[in-house]
Amino acid sequence: MHLKKLPMEGPLVIYEKGYDSGVLDAGGGYVVTAHIESHNHPSAVEPYGGAATGVGGVIRDILSAGTRPIAILDGLRFGDITKDKHARWLFKSAVSGIADYGNCLGVPTVGGEVEFDACYQNYALVDVAAVGFGKKSDLIRNHAQKGDLVVLLGGMTGRDGVGGSQFASDLLESQDRSAVQIPDPFIEKLIIEAVIEARRQKLIHAMKDLGGGGLSCAISETADALGVGIEMDVKKVHTRESGMSPEEIMTSESQERMLIITGSAEIKRLQDICAKFRISCSVIGSVTSGGQMRIKQGQETLADLPASVVANASLLDLASKRPSYLDELDAEPPGPIPDHTRTLELLVASPNISSRAWVYGRYDHEVGIRTVVRPGLDASVLRLDNGRYLAVTIDASPKHCYVDPRHGAAGCFEEACRNVACTGARPAGMLDHLQFGSPEDPEIFWTFLESLGGLAEYSRDMGIPCIGGKVSLYNETPAGPIKPTPMVAVLGLADRPFVAQKAADGDSLIILGDTKDEMGGSEYYEYVHGIVGGACPVVDSAVSRKNMDAVLDLIEGRLVKSVHDCSKGGLAVAATELCMTSEIGCDVGLDVPGGAPLDAALFSESHSRYLLVADAKSLDSVTSLLGKRGVPFGMLGKFGGSRMRFADGKKTVIDLSVDKAQRAWSSSLGDLVHG
Amino acid sequence: MPAFVVSVTIENKPGISDPEGDTILNDLVLQGAHEAVSCIRTAKMLRFTIEESDGDSALARVQKICDDLRIYNPLVSQVSIGVQAGSN
Amino acid sequence: MRVGVVVFPGSNCDRDMYHVLTDVFDLDATYCWHEHGLPKDVDAIVLPGGFSYGDRLRAGAIAAHSPVIADVKRMAEASVPVLGVCNGFQILVEAGLLPGALLKNDSLSFMCEWTELLVQNNKTPFTSKFSKNQRIPIPIANGEGRYYADEDTLREMERNGQIVFKYGDRVNGSSGMIAGVCNPEGNVVGMMPHPERAAEPEINPTGRGTTSLMFESLRAGAAS
Repeated sequence: MHLKKLPMEGPLVIYEKGYDSGVLDAGGGYVVTAHIESHNHPSAVEPYGGAATGVGGVIRDILSAGTRPIAILDGLRFGDITKDKHARWLFKSAVSGIADYGNCLGVPTVGGEVEFDACYQNYALVDVAAVGFGKKSDLIRNHAQKGDLVVLLGGMTGRDGVGGSQFASDLLESQDRSAVQIPDPFIEKLIIEAVIEARRQKLIHAMKDLGGGGLSCAISETADALGVGIEMDVKKVHTRESGMSPEEIMTSESQERMLIITGSAEIKRLQDICAKFRISCSVIGSVTSGGQMRIKQGQETLADLPASVVANASLLDLASKRPSYLDELDAEPPGPIPDHTRTLELLVASPNISSRAWVYGRYDHEVGIRTVVRPGLDASVLRLDNGRYLAVTIDASPKHCYVDPRHGAAGCFEEACRNVACTGARPAGMLDHLQFGSPEDPEIFWTFLESLGGLAEYSRDMGIPCIGGKVSLYNETPAGPIKPTPMVAVLGLADRPFVAQKAADGDSLIILGDTKDEMGGSEYYEYVHGIVGGACPVVDSAVSRKNMDAVLDLIEGRLVKSVHDCSKGGLAVAATELCMTSEIGCDVGLDVPGGAPLDAALFSESHSRYLLVADAKSLDSVTSLLGKRGVPFGMLGKFGGSRMRFADGKKTVIDLSVDKAQRAWSSSLGDLVHG
Repeated sequence: MPAFVVSVTIENKPGISDPEGDTILNDLVLQGAHEAVSCIRTAKMLRFTIEESDGDSALARVQKICDDLRIYNPLVSQVSIGVQAGSN
Repeated sequence: MRVGVVVFPGSNCDRDMYHVLTDVFDLDATYCWHEHGLPKDVDAIVLPGGFSYGDRLRAGAIAAHSPVIADVKRMAEASVPVLGVCNGFQILVEAGLLPGALLKNDSLSFMCEWTELLVQNNKTPFTSKFSKNQRIPIPIANGEGRYYADEDTLREMERNGQIVFKYGDRVNGSSGMIAGVCNPEGNVVGMMPHPERAAEPEINPTGRGTTSLMFESLRAGAAS
């Protein structure tokens, strides 16, 4: 399988058989678990329920390891909301779905990102990552022995969701109600509490969430992972509707269900816990020796086959070919722009750059009282019970990946690492979710392999292991395949939290890292000029590591007041964001290291760059540390006043009121949604 | 033209679960002495006041509005529509 | 002092509240599952936030019929301090222990943000350490947090000193910008914002920890 290309081992990675989530050792006897999944096809037809049940599924994966879910992150992609009313409806409904589900569970949605691009027209990508936390000694060590009981716990099994996985490869127009999954966050909350209580009483031998493929997949995968057989009776399954056929029962993707293996000595206590929370708890079968999965209806055997056959469907080695579209991209750079101030104003208020407060204001991002750094900055930070801090972020850059799948994918991974580093945390693990069109198209499969290669290379170079991943294929809209959209979540650990302070009058703005003329896939090219093409930013792992180490050392010594990642919209946007959040102006000189021409200096999205804010008393220490490390940096200017000014030599090229920029930045997404 | 009130009831299709109805049934109604109740389904009702030549046209017009503007998601929900003369 | 933290199916701020009461303010706290009676030895009761019964029908409407509510009523009549936060406030209102109703925010959406409260009544067991009109920073996180009462009720509440907290700004369209109220006796207090989320400097972005005085007030009441 191609995914084996990603390095899965590292000093902090804990591997357990049968886990859907990755596990990291957080120190002091505690672990962090993490997982990412998408719910793209269901969200494209029923965005509220699709997005909500997406949250539910990934939360149950975290729970399956025996850890309590402590955070949700969402990565969302829709069509062009400036023009497309349907995209607006999809966006608004998906956000409501995530909010209603996560808020009800009491699991905070602490971070995420949203992007709009015409390639997702009439479609939606809804990725959800979740993080769990618990004691290492409480992890469920999946095991089973002959005679153990197989229990289905949680909501009832109904016809909704029958054939949902199959639906993924069907056309979206087919209005089949069976693909719709109705979210019930209340039942999910009860399952969480019941499972945690059962784990506390050590009643769980093995556990698995019911996801795609329903019971048939959960049973076969569990038997295969544990090296046992399972015999079950469809008549024992609690159904919501009468007259369901065995096939419907086995493949129903009704939400909020868990498969638990327990012993006959423990079943009574498990049933008592389920009775307390009033969730159903049916013994549907038992563990047998040998690897057979036997499905019965009363006395009659309906199926009897090796579990390994059902569980291990392989990702075939398909043909791949460099796509011809790459040779047809725009090659000509845009001409000079008349008004840089207007361009910056436009970018700051653009759908892909403006403030996401409209989204995260709907999410309870504080419940659980762990949130030290809130959404809206580079990465969010949670406090852990072992006195340490976890930084998390999620990222994708399909515009870069479209013009260069390999460097685009590596770049989005690096960007996620930069975001985590900005909080003083060192990246410790990553999750990837690879979203592409049909892999049967050799050109699409090529972009898949290239993206995977880019992620694997950066992962190896940086020693950041992949702790979990998923693949979502056949993401096609009526107008064709989506752009390659690998999504990356990065987790980092820190001993002390670094909470950014506002920039004040007289503080210095410094850029670390080279700015290059790499404008392919940038917001400047695509949003301002409508150009798709050009050279995409390239990550050099050695530079990436050196720059990141310097930033982490500056933060460790508390020499800087804040660090901000330089990405979408380039230096001009990143500096403006610092000014808007600090409510102060800045005079910025554009003598940036790397030798980029004016427009690139302002708007290029070159990687491995950070903006630093230092006050007068630590400025010398900052520059001497950067000098000693031999990392490129430039003194951009000083904060003060109420205007953003960018000067090219002596000539002022941008002069913008921070207050005005702030108003446009903070209100534009909400204004777009409410049309 | 005369005025009509057209009532549109939006509810999940039969076979699609209704967690809110289930909770009200199981955790409230059946906790009292009301075992005679076997099912509760929730719905949302919209009441349109509309001027049309006759009741049938009012009904057809509102049905079209609901379909065109996606007032309900046909994948999940069904609507039932009733009409009476008068205004809200 | 022993504080009972009542847990309903769907409560989700119970563990946060328990942590703040015990680890931060060194009070003795105990979880009380809604189907069991309240222990006789509790000196105060907190109904924490969350989504009891998934907020179905109306927020708090189903939990208000829970067996534990009879005990809460009995102890409230015996002057035991009772605090309802967010969903806990909604439950107290639905159970008739506090006047008014909580409606959907005028934005029609869930809101999670920091705001400021003005202390109106500093005579309750949860506000005695505040000065009157003191401004305190605190976060809200709710979808149905718009306090409503009719004009007559509002006038009577004003007369009785039943308005405990008002918002510093127009936040959600609440009548009289009300964020928290109490019963005429003052021992039952309900509020939409979350004091347990503002009590520790590490997770309080405002740098002002005055909201902790709510828990200090409760603790001081126990000592006196």
